Amino acid sequence: MTSAETPVLEADGGAGAANYTKAILNILDDLGEERGRQADSQRAILNVLEDIDAEKAQLEATQKAILNILDDFDEERTRVKEANADLQAINEAMRGFVAVAAHDLRSPLATMVGFASHLTANWATLNEEDRRNFVAAIERQSQKMSRLVDDILTLASIEGGGLNMRPEVIALREAIDRCLDAGDGDTASVSVSCSPDLVVRADPQHLGRILGNYVQNAFKYGQPPVRIEAARVGDVVEVRVLDHGPGVPAEFVPRLFAKFARADTASTRVEKGTGLGLSIVRGLAEANGGQARYEPNAPNGACFVVRLRHADRSGR
Amino acid sequence: MLRRPPAPRRQVRPLKDLLVVEDDPDIQFLIRTVFSKDARFTVAGEAASAEDGVELARSTEPGLIVLDHGLAGELTGLAAAPKFKEVAPNAKIILFTAHAELRIRAGDEPAIDAFLLKTDVQQLLPLAQRLTGLGPPPA
Repeated sequence: MTSAETPVLEADGGAGAANYTKAILNILDDLGEERGRQADSQRAILNVLEDIDAEKAQLEATQKAILNILDDFDEERTRVKEANADLQAINEAMRGFVAVAAHDLRSPLATMVGFASHLTANWATLNEEDRRNFVAAIERQSQKMSRLVDDILTLASIEGGGLNMRPEVIALREAIDRCLDAGDGDTASVSVSCSPDLVVRADPQHLGRILGNYVQNAFKYGQPPVRIEAARVGDVVEVRVLDHGPGVPAEFVPRLFAKFARADTASTRVEKGTGLGLSIVRGLAEANGGQARYEPNAPNGACFVVRLRHADRSGR
Repeated sequence: MLRRPPAPRRQVRPLKDLLVVEDDPDIQFLIRTVFSKDARFTVAGEAASAEDGVELARSTEPGLIVLDHGLAGELTGLAAAPKFKEVAPNAKIILFTAHAELRIRAGDEPAIDAFLLKTDVQQLLPLAQRLTGLGPPPA
């Protein structure tokens, strides 16, 4: 209601009072409407506030989600960093291996080339003894090279899944005796504790290689007396090759069976190798359903263990 | 008629003492064989480790050292080269190794006069003749 519509007191009291009453009622109506509008505004404001609260909660949820994603990113970044470090370590080991393998392949090759060309150029003037010495050196170096090539190819077969497997039922004692007979003079001194009844299921060539490597290592890096013990433990047969040398340095044990691993000790510096022997042993043991591991031989020495599946003579 | 007396046979005197530092007996033998083709070189000593080699170099003062890298002792050939030069300053040092990756590091080591890969063994004698200033042997 505007000021133009405000009722004016008139001389006629009755009509004037009615007009006042009407005006007051109008004012009250207006007030009621006003209050209603205010209530509407209040409700609207409350709705807006509620909306703002909901918006805020949503924002908080979004913020939390973003923080979670950032956390995930951090975890992912850590994982990528770790994977990167692993790859770098593998790369480093691979580079080291390539350098060692290249060196170990080149050295015998150089000797063979050198003696062969000397023989070719001076055959007529060389005496019989010199010729024999040169040929013997060529033979020694070609054997060395052949062993290395064989190791590299075996490892490649293990890793590439192309390993030839012909598992058989093998009398363990006979396999151990064959391995010791094939070794050089030292292996005759190895004492063996193995029941003739112990039978394993494995590829005979692989078993021979595992035992041969353990025994050779015992003499190369350990000290006599060397002993082989075999016993059945549940479903497996455990073969242990023990020596009484200095044992493997504790810090090197975790990497002992890893590829390209070589501990830096006086004996490993003298005995040059590629660091493939024990990784081949582990690969062959696992390919035959077994395991290979190391433990110290208290109070001193090394103990290399291979666990293979037990079988009875019928092959089961 | 006077006959001229026969010319005295020319004696080829060894001019360069050679020290071989190599831990593989077959390669030691090969190096001896290679240098046996030129009588001006004589093998003054052989060692399997750089530690023993340095002692031999001190006592024999060789004119030429054929030095392997991976040796039986603690020291490598590359690391030991300055020690060899210290005790035998007149010696020419050839790093004779199967480690191809050492070529650059050997080039950066002032004590090493030449680098030769073992597979290039046919070049060992001509290289030694050139380095020591002897040149090819007289015909």
